[in-house]
Amino acid sequence: MYLVANIDTEICAATSCKLCTQYCPEANTILYDNEAGQDKGFKYGAAYVAVDRCKGCAQCVWVCDNMAKHNAIKMEMIDQIGDTALTENVTYGEKTSHALLANPVRGQG
Amino acid sequence: MSLEYVKFTPGFGKFMPKEYRDMVEHGPFGKKVSVSQVGTFKEILEEHPMCAGCAMTLFIRLAIVAFPNPEDTITVGTAGCGRLAISQAAIPFVYGNYGDQNGVASGLTRGLRLRFGDRPKDVVVMAGDGGMADIGFAQTLHSWFRKEKFTTIMLDNEVYGNTGGQESGMTNRNQVLKMAPLGKKFEKMDMLGMAKVAGCAYVATVVPNNPRRVESVIKKAVLVAREIGPSYIQAYTSCNIEYAIPTDKVMEDAKTVETDRYKFSEYITDEAKEYLSQLYGYKEYLPKPAAAVEKQ
Repeated sequence: MYLVANIDTEICAATSCKLCTQYCPEANTILYDNEAGQDKGFKYGAAYVAVDRCKGCAQCVWVCDNMAKHNAIKMEMIDQIGDTALTENVTYGEKTSHALLANPVRGQG
Repeated sequence: MSLEYVKFTPGFGKFMPKEYRDMVEHGPFGKKVSVSQVGTFKEILEEHPMCAGCAMTLFIRLAIVAFPNPEDTITVGTAGCGRLAISQAAIPFVYGNYGDQNGVASGLTRGLRLRFGDRPKDVVVMAGDGGMADIGFAQTLHSWFRKEKFTTIMLDNEVYGNTGGQESGMTNRNQVLKMAPLGKKFEKMDMLGMAKVAGCAYVATVVPNNPRRVESVIKKAVLVAREIGPSYIQAYTSCNIEYAIPTDKVMEDAKTVETDRYKFSEYITDEAKEYLSQLYGYKEYLPKPAAAVEKQ
């Protein structure tokens, strides 16, 4: 098993700084959902990781901890993060993206 | 391929390749996108085989997002790490034989200007320090002296990263590398100075730890190359493998190097300033009001 980035939606939605999306070297890996966290009262959405593309470099962790100072991203083992976003389940809308969550090891369902 | 020339016939859109439809429907083709919107649209760059945490990839990703007209842009590259990512993008990529990239781009940009006279086609060369300052040095400099109108971007990782760590002309003096165990004996080449002497209309240095600055610099360079003359961007894109930088410290290193020896600099000719301010509304290059000039 290997490490991938995992973003805490609640911490991220509280600030919505979008810095990690700009600093990830992989394209369309840290994505942004404008509706994430709305059920908990947050307005501006949160970032999430399409884990099948994450190479585990942890640059986003450094950016979140040191530049944004939000500490919302942690590196976690891929088989222990539970249901998460995968590239094939991502859809793009008007200025937002959205992902159906699935288990990264076993697949959907 | 330009959207102006290839348009979907109603009802036949579904027969176009998925990659192209994605770019039109969910990507930046025909729209204006900015670096602050990444993560909400399908990017032109796709999955690529570059190392984890590579700053060069980050720069390439930001540069491709920043292209002012991606559907009318062609990238040219050569051997080296960079082309592994640049070639995985949904815009045409031309591979110049090692060192030939600026020669290939010269012919390409001239041909495109003859064929598509009605709208600009941007040619952007992205190659490493070895391809540009060592092996392709003559062709790079000659293309500038000939005032070829395209953008040249050097992905300066200060080493031959793809072949095991030999020193390049852009490596710093005394730098010890795996294949340069005694340290480099000469100074880093002043490509910025040479670009200015050779007549580039826009020259800038940039480090990818400031994505919005990368975006603004790339946009200006591509726009200047459309009408005024050659433009050159030198980007510090560290090699975390050869310089043994832990991947999560790559941005920390970029910040250190930026404050130390890779400070942001921009050189722009008066003609290019006038062009950018009049055609594209760059307010910082507008002539100062007479009252402000008198005070100085």
